Amino acid sequence: MKHKRSIINKKEKKVYTYFLVVVAVLFIGSTIFSKYNPFEILLEQGEFWRFLTVDFFPPTLQNSLNIFESILITIEMAIGATFISGILALFFAMFGSEYISPVPKLSKVIRAIATFLRNIPALVWAFILFSALGIGTGVGFVALVISTFAFMTRAFIEVIDDISHDAIEGLSVVGSTFWQRVFQGVIPSCMQDFLAWFLYCIEVNIRASTIVGMVGGGGVGLVLFSYLKSFKYQTAAGIILIIAATIILVDLLTGYLRKKVLL
Amino acid sequence: MNTVLDIKNITKKYSNGVQALSDVSFCINEGEFVVIIGPSGSGKSTLLRSINKLIEISSGNIYIDGEDISKKRSKSLRLLRRKIGMIFQHYNLIYRLSVIQNVMYGRLGYMSNIKGVLGRYTEEDKLKAIELLKEIDLGDYIYNRAADLSGGQKQRVGIARAIMQQPKILLCDEPIASLDPSTSKIIMDLIYNMARSRNIACIVNLHQINVALKYATRIIGLSKGKIVFDGKPDQLDNATIEKIYNTSMQNLIISGELNEA
Repeated sequence: MKHKRSIINKKEKKVYTYFLVVVAVLFIGSTIFSKYNPFEILLEQGEFWRFLTVDFFPPTLQNSLNIFESILITIEMAIGATFISGILALFFAMFGSEYISPVPKLSKVIRAIATFLRNIPALVWAFILFSALGIGTGVGFVALVISTFAFMTRAFIEVIDDISHDAIEGLSVVGSTFWQRVFQGVIPSCMQDFLAWFLYCIEVNIRASTIVGMVGGGGVGLVLFSYLKSFKYQTAAGIILIIAATIILVDLLTGYLRKKVLL
Repeated sequence: MNTVLDIKNITKKYSNGVQALSDVSFCINEGEFVVIIGPSGSGKSTLLRSINKLIEISSGNIYIDGEDISKKRSKSLRLLRRKIGMIFQHYNLIYRLSVIQNVMYGRLGYMSNIKGVLGRYTEEDKLKAIELLKEIDLGDYIYNRAADLSGGQKQRVGIARAIMQQPKILLCDEPIASLDPSTSKIIMDLIYNMARSRNIACIVNLHQINVALKYATRIIGLSKGKIVFDGKPDQLDNATIEKIYNTSMQNLIISGELNEA
């Protein structure tokens, strides 16, 4: 047999082979362990499609005024939460960026807190807060603020760390104060990136506020949930379509604005 | 002659163990134009940056106009830093902002915190900045973004910002290292004339010995963190240069010799 020359680095080949083996083993192992065969989904599609095509069709809208009002609440929650988080994050990021923070030791603490909070999704925050404070739009709003604030703080710190340190040094040597450096140097240099992250968070929060709404935060999520629970699937389907349309519209809008901002 | 800068036995050891400066002392009087030369890593930048406390020295004293900057913190440090203008190799401007905004930053140290935050400069200061920009041929670029300028123009904005501080001392950290030869001459002339006409003591770090010889009223040679030469330009002979750069003349490019050929 002719020996075939490999053009892939031997080491890399090994790594990929091992990787493939590990993935296969994990898949088989978890299938056995959970006693769930993912291929069943292919066999049980009949029921699924029946549900989608018969129960959900045709999508209708009852009480449409109510539904649109609830969508508005969801959007308001998302924008409001992003706005408040943005202002809080801006403040904390100034102290969280090791380079410009007047108290460099504090920056590690802020980073740690933000990282911790960020790794807990908004939905989990919602559940925690609902059990502590009861359900309601206000509580859902706070859940969104916590997770968005943490995310934005991290993002803003990274933006600040990325700008040229030379520029801020140029401001330090003239005898400026910390807040003067922030407002005259850091914010003008970072504004575009801050705005881009802000728009991204609005995008994320429209989705998040719908889900937080479903578990008790109000808005269109709660309305959808109540229709699902009362088996009014056709109206639920209508609401789902409207939610999808809203999210697509918001994505298009923020995407467009982000491009404009970053130019 | 007034002494504006008095450096006494300063040393600097970085936390990684590098001894950047060891027992450096010298005085600078009003109106002097001092050029510091020395190979990369000899401590030129460290020395310059210790003077306005961008770098904290390990021991010794630095007196600016009679006040010890190494003892100063927060507010009194800021007040003292106003007297020290600095010009950087990479200009260190806020590139998103206009030329005049960058020049006005020279006044921040003279303003209250809140006025500086809001950028409420006095009309008088603004007029002064415009005059200054016209003087250095940037009158047509007042509202241009700093990012859109050429290297030489950026450096001129940097010089204007430092001059707006009305400093007693001007520190220039390799101001022409990123510029072409003709722009370099414009910038060196500008720094020299600005410093001379306003009686500002000037300390310039340079790599180009011929430039040093042309402008300096005094040259300080630094090698491995120690002063190995301190005197008038005409006292700088080949043996001293070899000592500063720790190599023989044939290993050095000193372009001044081209003229003689």
